[in-house]
Amino acid sequence: MAHCLAAVASFSPSAVRRRLSSQVANVISSRSSVSFRSQKMSFVSISSRPSSLRFKICCSATGETQAKKETVDKVCMIVKKQLAVPDGTPVTAESKFSELGADSLDTVEIVMGLEEEFNITVDETSAQDIATVQDAADLIEKLVTEKTA
Amino acid sequence: MASRTKLSGIQRQALALYRGFLRTARLKSPEERRRIESVVSAEFRENARSVDRRNFVYIEYLMRRGKRQLDQLKNPDITGLSTLEINKASSIPEQRVEHDLGVSTGRQ
Repeated sequence: MAHCLAAVASFSPSAVRRRLSSQVANVISSRSSVSFRSQKMSFVSISSRPSSLRFKICCSATGETQAKKETVDKVCMIVKKQLAVPDGTPVTAESKFSELGADSLDTVEIVMGLEEEFNITVDETSAQDIATVQDAADLIEKLVTEKTA
Repeated sequence: MASRTKLSGIQRQALALYRGFLRTARLKSPEERRRIESVVSAEFRENARSVDRRNFVYIEYLMRRGKRQLDQLKNPDITGLSTLEINKASSIPEQRVEHDLGVSTGRQ
């Protein structure tokens, strides 16, 4: 069983990575957020396996673009605070702001709150494309590394 | 849901204006900042709720007015923003926005 798992795990990342690179190409060529979203959906569907394995695949697939857990947690906390999400409502990396009851103005406020918290500046175009906690965390990691580099 | 992913140009402009206000509010004193944020947020939410989304002429007017106010607010001499509530009693029922944003300067 362990062998089998390892085989799957070692096989999948390359497949996923290939998928991912095609996804990036798609985004650049069409510059449409819709195509990105649908690609992403297919990515999510292939990773829905036993949880430990799923986590492994996610990690290796997205490599450095995958945000750290602390960042995701911090983003979740800020989102909760900003939207006054009632206690007990789970906020995870996959949570969409709109599903948590945020309208577009709330989303702007969240991004502004994140900017202050992480001491970064999000430019206009990327700020518009943030729809989930994961999106926000990924962008923050990118901007923070760019700033320290 | 779809409206979240595909915003129209004018919606993006409105959000950019909102972001501009929040950015500028950061430059003011913490107390003023809170007040500016609450005024601006209330104004945007009220207009988002009450103005018909196809009323482009009115929306564009509001955006021009907002931009002018933002430019004024960016001036470091301007310390705050206040609203003047004019009697909302229904003497002029057609008029929707009955309060105007005013600005106050640091030197007086």
